[in-house]
Amino acid sequence: MSQGYPIKIYKKPRLQSSSLVLGWSEDMSNLGRKATDYLNWKLKGQEFAEIEPEDFFPLGGVAIKGNLAQFPESKFYACREHELVVFQSGSPGAEWYKFLNSVLDVAEHHCQVKELYTIGAMVSFGAHTTPRQLLAVVNSAEMKEVLSQYDLGRDMDYQTPPGERPTLNSFLLWIAKGRNIPGVSLWVPIPFYLAAVEDAQAQKKVLSFLNERLDLKIDFSDLDQEVRDQNEQLARVRSRFPQIDDYINRLESNLMLSEEENGELIKKIEDFLREGD
Amino acid sequence: MGIRLYQEPQLENPILVAGWPGIGNIGIIAVDTLRGILEAEEFGEIEPWDFLYPNRVLIKKGVLEYLEFPSSKFYFKRTGGKDIIFFIGEEQPTEGGRMYAEGRKAYHMANLVLDVAEKFKCCRVYTSGAAVALTHHTAKPRVWAVPNSESLIPEIRGYGNTVLMSDIEGKGGHGNITGLNGLLLGVAKKRGFEAICLMGEIPIYLQGLPLSYPKASKSVLEVLSHSLKIEVNLDKLDELDQKVERRIEEFYQQIPSEIRGQLDRLKQVTDAQPAEPGPITEEEEKRIMEDVEKFFKKRGGGG
Repeated sequence: MSQGYPIKIYKKPRLQSSSLVLGWSEDMSNLGRKATDYLNWKLKGQEFAEIEPEDFFPLGGVAIKGNLAQFPESKFYACREHELVVFQSGSPGAEWYKFLNSVLDVAEHHCQVKELYTIGAMVSFGAHTTPRQLLAVVNSAEMKEVLSQYDLGRDMDYQTPPGERPTLNSFLLWIAKGRNIPGVSLWVPIPFYLAAVEDAQAQKKVLSFLNERLDLKIDFSDLDQEVRDQNEQLARVRSRFPQIDDYINRLESNLMLSEEENGELIKKIEDFLREGD
Repeated sequence: MGIRLYQEPQLENPILVAGWPGIGNIGIIAVDTLRGILEAEEFGEIEPWDFLYPNRVLIKKGVLEYLEFPSSKFYFKRTGGKDIIFFIGEEQPTEGGRMYAEGRKAYHMANLVLDVAEKFKCCRVYTSGAAVALTHHTAKPRVWAVPNSESLIPEIRGYGNTVLMSDIEGKGGHGNITGLNGLLLGVAKKRGFEAICLMGEIPIYLQGLPLSYPKASKSVLEVLSHSLKIEVNLDKLDELDQKVERRIEEFYQQIPSEIRGQLDRLKQVTDAQPAEPGPITEEEEKRIMEDVEKFFKKRGGGG
């Protein structure tokens, strides 16, 4: 491990050949946080290390969310039986290279991580009734070959548009490549009107892949129930508000909505899902 | 983290000319134009990853091909006598959402640039930037020169179209140069290099626009090429200036006529002898500033 990296190890995770799964806690639809929370819950992840925040996060006070003071956290969990390391963190605002190298230092030197998976969400302009897809970006041709047996979109072409920046997941994948750690960046397109609320279908999609790939043997009956509940709630919004039903019908027919209609759809869905009926 | 030199050219009495982006990109356009005209050869870079966030990723058929960072490169040109090393930074290493570099990273980068200057025994350092001034966009921008040593003042007095801070009305020889274009001057002083920062004037009402201001870059280049005793053809910069000028004029016509009337009076300012009282009183100057500020606030940005 590099000297001076602000890593705190509480106890040795005792892993032989593990995989790292990483999720950012302020992701779209909370996908990264929800998926990593779920893995920790189901696989009894034990916190064993963290990255100290002072070099990476603005510490000029605290944010308040849902009545509670927040503080940036960057924590590692070990799921020993499954040779899995879970890392969950807020997105750092500075010293990104040092931060991402710290993550890989812990993974490589304390957990013998052999491959890594990042979880991310992207906006889709399709309807929620369209089955979620899972897209993968890899940092080596060998890894692409390994993934060929899974139900994934593996042929994405992308170039950062002017004025935008690459994601932290791409940055991490690039650093991992330099350290010869095979990596996969997983992306689930989420309907734009679910971007600020939770999307159980998206969680199920990414977790199902990880379950199969890493042989985690997770029973998803509870998450399946969440998916059914979410679908029922969305069906209720449609039956109660004909205008919303019309918008979603149009999306289902691959038609675009106006900016104003998009805004109305987002607001109605968010209000309904947050407040319940 | 550090410097990567691809070759170590033999240079004679080199001087270093450095530039980073800033207001109106005046400095970097001046430096990069000179580099292009002289066809200077790239010979090294500062490794970017500890300083800068990547600006481009290329993914082909699902495979991450490469990640690109803003560049921080060194170039050299032999001119026969006084050779030139150029340093061009595509981005300033900012922290905490600030616009310009400051603090630990900025200091570190400035020192890395000067490490190269020291290695090649540079006898002088030039940086360049913008001077936000009460001037009009139809007037020829002057160049404000700030040296880091008293001994350079007589030389600067001999430059054309150039003023020292003490020549600027109301400045009393004081001021501030934000970001790395300024910091490098100070770090150079600390390390014993003589250095001059040349700042092209940009009208106060243009400083917040996302436009370059090549007219001021041209003024800077005229001074720099005179100082370096090299002749350069600035036609390309004139072409760029004409394009930008049209966009500035369009913007200018959108400014409410009462404010534009005040700004029109700035046409007279730069015609005055620098050390003499200007044709605009202090009170009028204050009013112009307030009007401009109000206009930008109403527009919801800029300034």
